[in-house]
Amino acid sequence: MADHWDTEERGLTLADANRDIMRPIMVSSWRYWTLLAFVFALVVWGCIAWAWQIDQGLGVAGYSHPVMWAVYITSFVFWVGIAHSGTLISAILYLFRSGWRTTINRASEAMTIFAVMTAGLFPLIHLGRTWYFYWLIPYPSERFIWPNFKSPLVWDVFAVGTYFTISLLFWYTGMIPDLAAIRDRLRGWKSKVYGLFSVGWQGTVREWSHYRRAYLYMAAIATPLVLSVHSVVSWDFAMGIVPGWHSTIFAPYFVAGAIFSGMAMVITILVPMRWAFGLEDYITDYHLDNMSKLILLTSLIVAYSYAAEYFITYYSADPTEQASLFFRAHGSFQGPFWVMTFCNVIVPATLWFKKVRRSASAAFVVSIFVNIGMFYERYVIIVSSLAHEYEPYSWGFYRPSWVEISIIVGSFAWFFFWFLLFTKALPTISIAEVKEHLAHQGAHEHG
Amino acid sequence: MADAANVSGVLAHYESIDGTRRAIETLREAGFDDLEVFSPVMCPELEEALGIYSSPVRRWALIGGITGFTTANLLTIGTSLAYPLIGQGKPIISWPPFIVIMFELTILYTGLFAMFSWMVHAHRPKLKLSPAYRAVFSVDRWGIFVPVDARDRDRALEKVRETEAVEVEA
Repeated sequence: MADHWDTEERGLTLADANRDIMRPIMVSSWRYWTLLAFVFALVVWGCIAWAWQIDQGLGVAGYSHPVMWAVYITSFVFWVGIAHSGTLISAILYLFRSGWRTTINRASEAMTIFAVMTAGLFPLIHLGRTWYFYWLIPYPSERFIWPNFKSPLVWDVFAVGTYFTISLLFWYTGMIPDLAAIRDRLRGWKSKVYGLFSVGWQGTVREWSHYRRAYLYMAAIATPLVLSVHSVVSWDFAMGIVPGWHSTIFAPYFVAGAIFSGMAMVITILVPMRWAFGLEDYITDYHLDNMSKLILLTSLIVAYSYAAEYFITYYSADPTEQASLFFRAHGSFQGPFWVMTFCNVIVPATLWFKKVRRSASAAFVVSIFVNIGMFYERYVIIVSSLAHEYEPYSWGFYRPSWVEISIIVGSFAWFFFWFLLFTKALPTISIAEVKEHLAHQGAHEHG
Repeated sequence: MADAANVSGVLAHYESIDGTRRAIETLREAGFDDLEVFSPVMCPELEEALGIYSSPVRRWALIGGITGFTTANLLTIGTSLAYPLIGQGKPIISWPPFIVIMFELTILYTGLFAMFSWMVHAHRPKLKLSPAYRAVFSVDRWGIFVPVDARDRDRALEKVRETEAVEVEA
């Protein structure tokens, strides 16, 4: 098996890259539309549940004292985490000139955008009175009251808002040459639509020159953003004095976990995508191997963070922290705790084996476990901590209601709905970057 | 040789980056400096051959960053002073939490300025494409357009033929 992307052995040309990557846009199948309709139906179901909650009030969710942040905030943190690897792959690996990112960055960036769109729903859902969401945005109100900039919840608005905007710009900028290529391939109104979004790109060297700099600077500024966003999200918790939350390790712990879960989600969506669109020449076992290595690395960091958190709890001799930890592992939420440990620490260890890393189906199965494990990790941190605070008065239990479960299912469907639309309307692999790789390798043959 | 009535100059097609780079050097040595070069991929070596070494985008990115940082200062400190209310036992102007907002807005404005400045300097968006542009330039061919009038056309054509052009339109 090759230890690089063997484009020469595969005989890929620039024209092949154009044709192969654009194929899903040009052809259509009933299977795609059936899947899209099914996913859309789940989105509608989630919307119905949300409408019911708005009408009836937050009481229809499973919230009860003391657990007033539950699966909605769990989902928010989960989806913001998922959003991380897109920018990691596109920005950080770009700065490090890691050539293997070329064929996976576009889909990962799309995943980032849709994950943030999904994450952004949950604070609104959790608000109950959704229509007051604009109170978090700094605007001159009639009473001259401004948001409290000392609150981590306001930091979230800025962090997630900036992350979404920069990720969207980065994604769109990277796509402009590809949109022009599609414009040139199509005819009629479709060509005009792609032409509009390609802003009249012609690929002159002067255009490339300005574009290259802008892309580089965006990559450079997106890099600290990757690290900052989940740090800020972690401070939503770490700034509180709830046992199980008030920890200085939270920022790096959350960032590592975010990259871990994000990389897993990249594999979860790329493996079916490459199979469905016949992209095996572009997303190869070599790419899966590299992604799996990143999962393995971040799994080790996450495992270390778990160990450090437990050790600090033990070493601090703080009885409430110790009680909170004991409750996690042996109390009412021990199921999610052990699922989390199994999925995030034990299962990824199989990636030490090259055979597992290079097998699409094995990597896919591992990625599913990691996704489940990371959802449970956030659930354990949020729910089990809130369910066991300082005094017996604030000890309780939480179980999600059908409304919450429906909204969660709907949110996953919402994410996949956008991703499915993306695969049909836009190139799932960066055509320009693949061609750049081919052109510079001298693999160009007259098409 | 293809006929292209809409081209007021000479347009040559190439099949490789190196061939295009050598052609640019040949044409510039012959005094044809105002070249428009089309490329399906990003090629820093072609920028170098054309003598493009920098872009004002970097300055705009810096200006964006400074603007974002200043905006964040005004927003956090200004609004705290405009409505001075002690919250969470912290000073009215409380730097550590404000740094988060400053960081985020610096990044946001840098990105926005970088995005819009490359578009402005590349003269985008544009609805009409250059008459010299061909669809193959977004697939697998490089193009050099030499804008010349009737007097210089023959000399330009002769120089272009010395290069590795696979197709020439004049």
